Amino acid sequence: MLPQTPAPSSPGPCGGADRGQRVLAAGLMRLLRLWRVYAYLDLLFVTRNLRSLLIYYTSDAVLAVAAVTATFLLAERFGSIGAWTRDQVLFMLGYAILVRAIPDLFFGYNVMHVSRRIGRGQFDHTLVQPLPVWLSLGAEGFMPFSGSGALVPALVLTLWAGARLSLPPSLPWLALLALNLAASVAIYLSFSFLWGSLAFWAPHAAEEISSSATAMLGALKPFPLDGVGPILAGSLLTLVPAGFVAWYPCRALLGLDPAPYGAAVTPVAAVGFALVTVVVFARGMRHYGRTGSQRYLPHGFRR
Amino acid sequence: MPTPTTFPAPAALPVLHKYLKTASMAATAVAGDGLYAAADYLIRFLHTAVLLALWRVIFAGRGEVAEMDLGTVLTYTLVARAFSEQLQPRSGLEHAMWEGTVVSHFVRPMGIAGQFAAEMAGRWLPGLCLTALPLLLLAPLFGVDPRPATPAGGLLFLPSLLLAISVGLAIDIIFCVLAVALDTGVWLLQHVRLAVGTLLSGAVLPLALLPWNLGQIFAWLPFAAMASAPLRIYTGTGDPLSLLLTQVGWSLLLWPLAGVLWRRQRERLAGYGG
Repeated sequence: MLPQTPAPSSPGPCGGADRGQRVLAAGLMRLLRLWRVYAYLDLLFVTRNLRSLLIYYTSDAVLAVAAVTATFLLAERFGSIGAWTRDQVLFMLGYAILVRAIPDLFFGYNVMHVSRRIGRGQFDHTLVQPLPVWLSLGAEGFMPFSGSGALVPALVLTLWAGARLSLPPSLPWLALLALNLAASVAIYLSFSFLWGSLAFWAPHAAEEISSSATAMLGALKPFPLDGVGPILAGSLLTLVPAGFVAWYPCRALLGLDPAPYGAAVTPVAAVGFALVTVVVFARGMRHYGRTGSQRYLPHGFRR
Repeated sequence: MPTPTTFPAPAALPVLHKYLKTASMAATAVAGDGLYAAADYLIRFLHTAVLLALWRVIFAGRGEVAEMDLGTVLTYTLVARAFSEQLQPRSGLEHAMWEGTVVSHFVRPMGIAGQFAAEMAGRWLPGLCLTALPLLLLAPLFGVDPRPATPAGGLLFLPSLLLAISVGLAIDIIFCVLAVALDTGVWLLQHVRLAVGTLLSGAVLPLALLPWNLGQIFAWLPFAAMASAPLRIYTGTGDPLSLLLTQVGWSLLLWPLAGVLWRRQRERLAGYGG
């Protein structure tokens, strides 16, 4: 005789919303538990070989700083870049490194470069987990110790520039900073996943497309785009949203944007980019469900 | 009688032929990268447009800075972006080491350095056609004069560029060998080398425009021979003879060093995969 399963309770007028909240809360609790596990694994990796750790850690920090140094040197040499003073540029560069450092911390092991996982057939590893895909991707790349190389210079630069600018450390301003930072990271990730979804249809040709997408944002993020013209600035806020990685949010946070709604633009854009990405990624997964991958080989090597 | 499947190599060019074929294969392989390659070309166009616009913002209301006016800086930037792959050459050795394909290079009847140089040259071809040439042809639309400052500068740019590639290739190999010696991720050191090298070489910012007289210090490093030297010759902002001699000097110094280091470390290479 089959075991009796409890009959689903009547949803009632608010039952659906309650259930949704419970599922979300349970998912977040599980994410926290998984982060603890992955943090432990990362700690094991870190303590296994100190020399490797130092090389990786230093390289990450050097790479993060080198990516924005040219703009800093320009601001230092000329005292300003357009309407941006040297210290404002410095704050923007710190913010730009933070936007790169946070995904490094939470979405390592090629989660951020998802096209590699998809193109190499390794997305199957995620699909066989007894977890929803979003939870799996949200947990697998957590590397709080080995992935924090860029975080230190980012925080130092942002705090130093903030102190020089005497920024208002008020609660609303900090909340706006956190909101814009989260939005910039969401756009950064969305752009990587949006392009990375192409690997569902073209696993070989698009295997490295996520890294190209993030490289595109990385190369174009450290510039104040005031005065570059509406076509170029518009392109860098839509087609290649590098302007949202640092320039636009910092413009609003530093009071350089006269529009009163300036600080809300990046979060709204993040929602838009995220929605488009979710739709495209879901379509890609449906396609993958029908075709699978022909490129998977044991040991992680690929053909 | 068996039917020949390939055309015989021209008798006069038997040695060159195999390198040309290798370069040709590498050039066509870029097409296999498809979207990935196209995204890189798009980055280069956008990056160039942003840099040019930025220089206009910075130089607005300013005359000459460090003996460079806006027109010179724009030409410098455009040429630097057009030849960005040549000014920061990557042999692909690190990629081959990472993928394990370096093993198959050892069994080919060609020198290792020659193979990687030929592959590198082949990979440049699509970029030269799809990025460098359009950038130079469309330069007037960007408001940039792409011509060299003097005819002599234009003529000397070519040997200087070849020497720059020579120095860059030697540095690339030295860094790959360093990765083997340190037993660490090859792409990691190469990324650092590229990020730092781009800054030190003057490939993005003219060294003369760096603050705190950093340019005068960086000019003595081998990285300056990779980008700053040919670009200064092209834009007429440096003495061609001394710049060329510096490049020759670095080339003569670095290649033997790369050879010695490579011979010492190659036995430590382990390949798996490919």
